[in-house]
Amino acid sequence: MRNGMVIDLEKCIGCQTCAVVCKIHNSLPPGTWWNRVFTQGSVEHQAAVGDNGNFKMEFLPISCQMCDNPACEKVCPTGATHTGGGGELLIDYEKCIGCRYCFAACPYGVRQFNWSDPKTAKIETMGYVSGYPLDCREGKAAHLVYTQNRHKGVAEKCSFCAQYTSEGELPACVRACPGKARFYGDLDDPTSEVSKLIATRQVYRLKEEFGTEPKVYYLSSGS
Amino acid sequence: MMHSYQRLSRSGRALVGLGLGLCAIGLFSWIMQLTNGLEVTHMQNAFSWGLYIAAFAFFVGVAAGGMIISSSIYVFNVEKLKPFSRIASLSAFGCILAAGVMVLLDLGSIQNIFFLFLTPNLMSPLLWDVCVVTAYLIITFLSVYMQMLPEWQKDGFFLAAWTKKRPAEEVQAFSKKWSRRVALVGLPFAVLIHTVTALIFATQVSHHWWNTAVLPPDFVAMAVASGSALVLIICMFTVGKRGFAEHADAFNIMAKVVAGALVVHFFFTLIELLLNAWNGSTQGQELVHILFNEYAALYLAELIFPAIAMIMFFMRRFSYNRPALLIGSILVIVGAFAHRMMLLYPAFNEPALSLNVAGASIKPWVVPLSTGRPDLAGAFFSTSFAYVPSLLEWGVTMLPFGIALTVIAGTITFFKLISEK
Repeated sequence: MRNGMVIDLEKCIGCQTCAVVCKIHNSLPPGTWWNRVFTQGSVEHQAAVGDNGNFKMEFLPISCQMCDNPACEKVCPTGATHTGGGGELLIDYEKCIGCRYCFAACPYGVRQFNWSDPKTAKIETMGYVSGYPLDCREGKAAHLVYTQNRHKGVAEKCSFCAQYTSEGELPACVRACPGKARFYGDLDDPTSEVSKLIATRQVYRLKEEFGTEPKVYYLSSGS
Repeated sequence: MMHSYQRLSRSGRALVGLGLGLCAIGLFSWIMQLTNGLEVTHMQNAFSWGLYIAAFAFFVGVAAGGMIISSSIYVFNVEKLKPFSRIASLSAFGCILAAGVMVLLDLGSIQNIFFLFLTPNLMSPLLWDVCVVTAYLIITFLSVYMQMLPEWQKDGFFLAAWTKKRPAEEVQAFSKKWSRRVALVGLPFAVLIHTVTALIFATQVSHHWWNTAVLPPDFVAMAVASGSALVLIICMFTVGKRGFAEHADAFNIMAKVVAGALVVHFFFTLIELLLNAWNGSTQGQELVHILFNEYAALYLAELIFPAIAMIMFFMRRFSYNRPALLIGSILVIVGAFAHRMMLLYPAFNEPALSLNVAGASIKPWVVPLSTGRPDLAGAFFSTSFAYVPSLLEWGVTMLPFGIALTVIAGTITFFKLISEK
């Protein structure tokens, strides 16, 4: 099984719902974003780009690209970054030594570091700690790859919502997208929705020249 | 002779005191960092390696250079340098110890360090580096130990306790035989540590500035230059003003080694610059802009300081002159440090994730990265970041500097390191 994601940029309205819902569901501390959405070619979000009356506004949501040839996993000295059974890249928070080599390796800038204690930062800014179903907060499995409060000094990033997908549910961003622009499923299964979209529509992946083989596909707008 | 050693012992003790003071500052700063997390530094997600990694690469460089000098003395039988082979080994040992400590101080979660041994990832160049740096630490220690054995036997130093009942000639012969053997192993390892450290960077395809086959050989060239410059400073300090004339030929050789290595370094640097400038792509232009505009001061320091030293060291007028050798060596070492800092700026300010968007006025469009640091002026996303190390970062960096100074100055002050020809 190789789970991947397809994002239809034709349907993306740049509302940032996926970014926000990700932040809440995964209990991200302030300043940390596993998923971010920007307007392509523009400094300001939701500002059109173009000239001679040809203006357009296209968005680009970016989270971990779940590469098949992941630069981050290859450089991780302790094997804290590893590929799970569904092809998702996960971080074992108890093995991460915080060397930040993965930050230097990842071409997509999706890695997030806990520069300070995330729990304290959340309480100080929001007054509460959100996210994670109750049964995911404790126990060994929860501690290794997903936990409501990471330690300070470890790396974190999108896990395709491992706490949900391991239970057969969809990632929070897929469920929350108001434009239904996000699709999640098995890339090895030719009958899955994601495989069909990739087979029939014009797709691209980010920075293919680096040879990272991402499992996140973008359907270009206008295709 | 006696007089010059007494002089040394006073200033040597002062240096040991300074070294211990730096260690204290470093330890205090590190405890602050452990308590608060790496937020005490000015690094952020988009600029995730800073002063610590630059200092690490710097120490690895000077350490490699020390052993290359010391081993060459044995391997190529350079008579005139023989009195200084112990100092060269000691310099290598002190600096690699500092490098090892430095990289540990950079870790966010040092408490998980044992997973390096429990579940090592053999693909990671960082793991290769851990292995070669550890091996090098052992080799340089053995090199110092084997060469110092006869002295330590005379002094009754505890590390040589096992030689107490043995005749001095036997220990001398043992020391000679094993010093040579360690030197033979040490030379390839000295080249290897810097090659592997360079590979940490050179393997990364997403950073154009690092991902070049010229980086490892250039690292080695810079290592020979900066390492030899440090050995030169330590040797001149040890023999003092009075001993200078006696060893002037040896210092001239070291200066020529520094200058020769710099020629190779500048050759590589110029080819790199030429390829980027000639290429004419936005990426190449961006790089030239970063080097000669945004970070021009630092980059010019990297180029000009060693260039001045190189020219000086090739001239007889300067290469036999004590103050000139001292100033030149310091210029090389400062230049080497700037070189290590400049490893980071062009790499992190030339973002990997840039896209060419049709119709957009900014080309290429750089996808902003989250900072992870809301405390830094409330910025959540940024495309580039002018990193300046925090005061506490400098404080933490004083620990490896203090350790190297204490070990090197301490050994020179309390033992006789200049061996007779």
